Amino acid sequence: MFTYNFRLWVIALILLPSRLVFSAPMGFEGSTMTMADFNQNWREVGFNYAITSRDALGLTHLEFRSDDHKDKREVDTLNYTRLLSRWNLTDAQSNLWLFMGLGEIRGSIDNQNIDSKVIASSGFQFDYETRRVYFATTHKLYRASNLNHDTTSIRAGFSFYEADYDQTQPWFILETKYTNQISDKIEVIPMLRLINKNIFVEGGVNNSGQPRLNLMYTF
Amino acid sequence: MKHLLVVVALGLSLISLNGFATPSYKVTVNGMVCSFCAQGIEKKMKALSETKGVYVELKNHLVVVEAKEGSNISQDVIKKIIKDAGYEVKSIEVSEHPIEHIKSGMDK
Repeated sequence: MFTYNFRLWVIALILLPSRLVFSAPMGFEGSTMTMADFNQNWREVGFNYAITSRDALGLTHLEFRSDDHKDKREVDTLNYTRLLSRWNLTDAQSNLWLFMGLGEIRGSIDNQNIDSKVIASSGFQFDYETRRVYFATTHKLYRASNLNHDTTSIRAGFSFYEADYDQTQPWFILETKYTNQISDKIEVIPMLRLINKNIFVEGGVNNSGQPRLNLMYTF
Repeated sequence: MKHLLVVVALGLSLISLNGFATPSYKVTVNGMVCSFCAQGIEKKMKALSETKGVYVELKNHLVVVEAKEGSNISQDVIKKIIKDAGYEVKSIEVSEHPIEHIKSGMDK
């Protein structure tokens, strides 16, 4: 069973080259969620395996660079995701998530290679969702010796109509994002999101004219 | 006379089948707003050996689980699956109708 799931994940990793700040960062107990996020200066792939309905373990590979391409980073982390709290209302759901990670960072500063370092990450996400509106705010710390790549993101959007379980639901999502020590810009990205059961796709173009693609698949 | 007996036998068997009609469980669930998140409920319900079919309706916050003929599904099991999937069961109603009937809206 694990072998089969692992193979599927590898295929997804190969096919889906792509900042993992998605709606629900883990699936149901026993499920594997593959995630990919890609734009010109940011590539991230990863997966989470939900060991309980509230806890998931996963791996992430992340590459990002500065706008002038002189600073580059590669980060590999082992991650733990915890659903700290969930509020189930009649027509809405809200969650508070905890993220923790530990791994290695390497890369270059002003085109000079830097030694590999241990990196630790931690963060929180709060989200609120109905069948028509979505809001999420995420703050993640990415810290290594003399490096601070903390990331803050806010996402908000609306669905064009109320879709039911078997239908594809289209959303408009606007994300603003800032990453420390890599860019002075706040990235703004309007995106179209499509959800159909276990498939989640988002695409848009940011305020620098760079296309972005997010993908998630749960099995 | 033979024909009469056949008709009576057929009638009795139909009554008998009706007597064995299997229940569907109409579960009203709080927090179920998105198909990407709710898919776990469908998968876990389908994995039960007693389950014939599952129908999820986000609009009415409804999960319908139809049992196989001659089977029953414990309501405690249904509640546990939904709770473990991260949702809250508001109510469970047992219906004598299959999913198709409930889907069509005739079960109200």
